Amino acid sequence: MVKFGIEFVPREAHWKTIFYAIQAEKRGFDNLWITDHYNNRNVYVILAEAAFYTKKIVFGPGVTNPYLVNPVMTAQSMASLDELAPGRVVLGIGAGDKTTLAATGVEMRKPLTAVVETIEIFRRMIEGKTVSFEGKVFKAMGTKFNFKPRGQIPVYVGAQGPKMLKTAGKIGDGVLINASHPKDVDYAVGRIKLGVEEAEKKLTDVDITAYTSFSVHKKLEKATQAAVPVVAFIAAGSPNVILERHQIDVKKVDKIRGALRAGDFGGAFGSVSPEMVEAFSVSGTPDVCIEQINRLLKAGISQFVVGSPIGPNVRKSIDLVSKTVIPHFKK
Amino acid sequence: MTYQKIAESIPLEKREKLSDKLLNFVLKSKKESKMPSSLATSILDQWRLGPLTTEKGLAVLLKAAVLLESEKTIAFLEQELQLVSVAKAIEEMK
Repeated sequence: MVKFGIEFVPREAHWKTIFYAIQAEKRGFDNLWITDHYNNRNVYVILAEAAFYTKKIVFGPGVTNPYLVNPVMTAQSMASLDELAPGRVVLGIGAGDKTTLAATGVEMRKPLTAVVETIEIFRRMIEGKTVSFEGKVFKAMGTKFNFKPRGQIPVYVGAQGPKMLKTAGKIGDGVLINASHPKDVDYAVGRIKLGVEEAEKKLTDVDITAYTSFSVHKKLEKATQAAVPVVAFIAAGSPNVILERHQIDVKKVDKIRGALRAGDFGGAFGSVSPEMVEAFSVSGTPDVCIEQINRLLKAGISQFVVGSPIGPNVRKSIDLVSKTVIPHFKK
Repeated sequence: MTYQKIAESIPLEKREKLSDKLLNFVLKSKKESKMPSSLATSILDQWRLGPLTTEKGLAVLLKAAVLLESEKTIAFLEQELQLVSVAKAIEEMK
């Protein structure tokens, strides 16, 4: 049965994020994902608070990166969280995004290798082993916790490019893909399959998780309007190969890119076309969202993540999803 | 007068609508830095326990809404819910 996750960006006060996290658990969501960016609230502080205020929802960073948080510290944070909420934590790890890393002066060196090495160190630390590891990006010199970790924590790999997707299928317990359209999921699942086969696993062994830009409202226009700003940023950040996959005019996206660079958000959002909204979001009335989620399920996802903006009113949209969308899939 | 006493005086049939509106005020407020940590914790504690339509839930929500969005809260109590005495009691507490 499909799982429903929800993603929050902790840019607002901690208590607002936790309020929504409690609400999500009450309303039947399975997973809670908190993003990790240096310019928002600290992900582990928010997750620790979520651990305290929730009882059953599974949660984790979605996703952290190995450049700003050393793999050993990621293992320490996750092992500590696992003590607060035994068996409810999962790690989402990816290479991070170049722009954010560049702002901190940190170079994104060998992203694929960095993620693979991080997972290797992480798993060994979590098993309570003494880790001596000499990788191309990371080293661990007889590293060991002074406490006994509880044990295995599932690892979800944030992946976009073909090599990372294949690797994620090979070594991940789950894969987090930023995709709201079946064409993107199709592509991702094809690559994940290659990794799964190489590891002699089944595709169902991997929780293929679509991180979507989601917006729901009883009125279609209101749902779409809320999605537009997020879609503008996704379109602007998409490589041309993805724009071409969706037959989106690159010139139109260049116009959005230019407007965003100039700080003209009105101009940028005004240039978002219905094709872009369709390609880069799951948005609309509950019925429209159900239809779009069905298409993603057919393309091969096993977890659907309700991501930003969620809707014009986050609290009411969470309620609407739980009353209309989730029951459709969890009868 | 305390917020608990005020919450107790609110008619049962108006509590759900009030709770819904106060939540909007509090969660959509841009003045989140005004929220004391202890009050935020009280809201989360009540929310974890159940809906915020209980007297304890309404009391903490009212306190937060008055702190963050005073004018909107008073106007809603007076004009939408016709709870003039409640609005007056809150004004006197401020």
